[in-house]
Amino acid sequence: MTAPDDVNLDRVWTNVAAEVWRRRPGRAERTATRLLRSPGLARALLTTPSLLGPWLIGSTVVLAIGALVQLGSDQPLVWLIAPAVAAVGIAYAYGPGIDPAWELACSCAVSDRLVLLTRAVVVFAVNAVLGMVASLVTLGTTAGTHTAQLTFGWLIPMTAVCALTLAVAVVVKSAAAGAGAGVAAWLVVVLGRSALASTASTPGPSPVPSASAGLAAAVTDPNLYLPYLAVAACCAAVVYYITRPQRGVQ
Amino acid sequence: MDDDELIAAIAGGDGDDTALRELFSRHAPWLAARLRKALPPDDVEDVLQETFIAVWQNAKTYQPRGTPAAWLWVIARNQAAMLLRKRGQPPVPLPGDVTEETGKSADPAEAVLARAELAAATQALSGADRHAEREVWRLLYVEDRPVAEVAQLTGVPEGTVKSRAHRARRLLRAALHVSHTAEGGTR
Amino acid sequence: MNIELSEITRRFGRNVAVDGVTLDVGPGVLGLLGPNGAGKTSLLRMLATILPPSSGNLTLLDRDPTKPADRREIRRRLGYLPQHLGYYPSFTVVEFVEYFALLKEVPPHLVPKAVAAAVEKVDLGPKAKAKLRTLSGGMLRRVGIAQAIVNEPQLLLFDEPTAGLDPEQRVAFRALIRDLGQTATVVVSTHLVEDVGAACSEVALMSDGKVVFRGTPEELIARGEAGQGVGDAPLERGYSAILGAARSTS
Repeated sequence: MTAPDDVNLDRVWTNVAAEVWRRRPGRAERTATRLLRSPGLARALLTTPSLLGPWLIGSTVVLAIGALVQLGSDQPLVWLIAPAVAAVGIAYAYGPGIDPAWELACSCAVSDRLVLLTRAVVVFAVNAVLGMVASLVTLGTTAGTHTAQLTFGWLIPMTAVCALTLAVAVVVKSAAAGAGAGVAAWLVVVLGRSALASTASTPGPSPVPSASAGLAAAVTDPNLYLPYLAVAACCAAVVYYITRPQRGVQ
Repeated sequence: MDDDELIAAIAGGDGDDTALRELFSRHAPWLAARLRKALPPDDVEDVLQETFIAVWQNAKTYQPRGTPAAWLWVIARNQAAMLLRKRGQPPVPLPGDVTEETGKSADPAEAVLARAELAAATQALSGADRHAEREVWRLLYVEDRPVAEVAQLTGVPEGTVKSRAHRARRLLRAALHVSHTAEGGTR
Repeated sequence: MNIELSEITRRFGRNVAVDGVTLDVGPGVLGLLGPNGAGKTSLLRMLATILPPSSGNLTLLDRDPTKPADRREIRRRLGYLPQHLGYYPSFTVVEFVEYFALLKEVPPHLVPKAVAAAVEKVDLGPKAKAKLRTLSGGMLRRVGIAQAIVNEPQLLLFDEPTAGLDPEQRVAFRALIRDLGQTATVVVSTHLVEDVGAACSEVALMSDGKVVFRGTPEELIARGEAGQGVGDAPLERGYSAILGAARSTS
């Protein structure tokens, strides 16, 4: 029997397919949609490469190794690793370097700047939490006056390193370049500051072994905090400027 | 792939949407034609849509007996009834058993079996000594009257009506069981 | 008028990509022809609101794309297929189309049906749940077309849409854009002259950033017969005649 002329089977199939193919968002996405008040922004957030399962597992493993080494050998490591891990995560969160459909995304109603901001903030927060957990787990190993700085002080340089990474990634349009620049800059600061610490004598008691205190000067020296924040602010301004709508896709 | 395999594919694991698509292209036309005899085009589309969504969701309940067309028709008929009930409209009579009209989509052996069972069942209730049971059967199940009314019409107490109905059912069950074993079929 | 361009210019450093283009386009299909480097892609990017003009006035769907709120409204009603569209390899066809439906702020309750309709329209139904990395180039192009039409746009911009499509698919695409052109403004930028003849109600020819011809395909053919055009087909002769004339005067 053939279908009657006044019944549109194509339309029927489209409606069936709509139901069969529909994707049901998970709880994380539904919560994000409610908080961000935008289903598109929530979906963009939850498809961030550096927020996906494998990436998060990788970051956790790296920090866990650092924490284990610290627990085993009393050598503080979490403060060194956390900013680097976060920087790489930020580099692979957003932008022309990592998003193959970026030009198309820029023509969509959900603003690419908003996606950038949301992704960067969440990636930073997730990495900060992971780092803090690793720090708290290894709390016993950092005794003395530098405890607070070694445990949490790395959050400030982490902000600067992440901002620098993002700025380079957006300007150069390459996630790898951004990650490389961020990690390299962090290493330069750490080694440079520790070289300075060993040539000049640092007054005050430091029960932590002097070698690691020198190396960790990059997070324990309060004089550096303001410069870190200044770098972070400058890089944020660069990102803001580069992503202005008046510049557009070039 | 035959229809049974398609439905199995739909039921399996992740669900094979291309199998559903194939099933739709094979069966939607005749289902639409049958439904159209009783319903306006918009309703036909709605019912078909709900039917195939139900197929997608309930493919696991299908038992392969070579009667996919009949199974689809039952679902379609139920969806039609639900649609009308939801709207508060009275039910419309839809064409019944799919084997009668869609000839080639029904299994001829199945049709023969059904008719044989019906014959055996009628045989069980025929005969002068079964008059009372036949009467009760007709009033209670065919004409769908309440027990009290049947008691009044036949002039016997309600208890007697109930026991006659029970006997009728027992006779029919026995007859159907015999006809099953005679045909060698297992259900 | 869905598109109103007035003396639109776009410079990149010293290179003038688009030079004083004035164009008004209503519903229908406009073919944008021209050799590589003529400025077609830059013009299309300006229409897609991802590249602002260096000077001139641009009005899209009666709105001003320099205003953020207007720009968002335009983008909700816009469909864009860039020349090079990257894909997310692990996404399925349906997930990819749905992602952009969400980014274009299609109301969430309408998304499943819109996605199903778009996927069926480009004949990718049987591949709906296939991962993009398993698809051929022509199928990927069709996925790109599907995401462009998913929000039933009033303004559709296609940059070299038939690249990678076989002749049968090209015919289907032309039928699709003729259909879409009934209610929307469709701009198809291509260097394939035959794409234009079959589907477009109007043709604009660009050379060195300027529009050197605007008219119907028949008028273009007439110019070919009048001038000294070369080519196998009438449209090709018209195309080369006008380009030749434009180059000799510049």
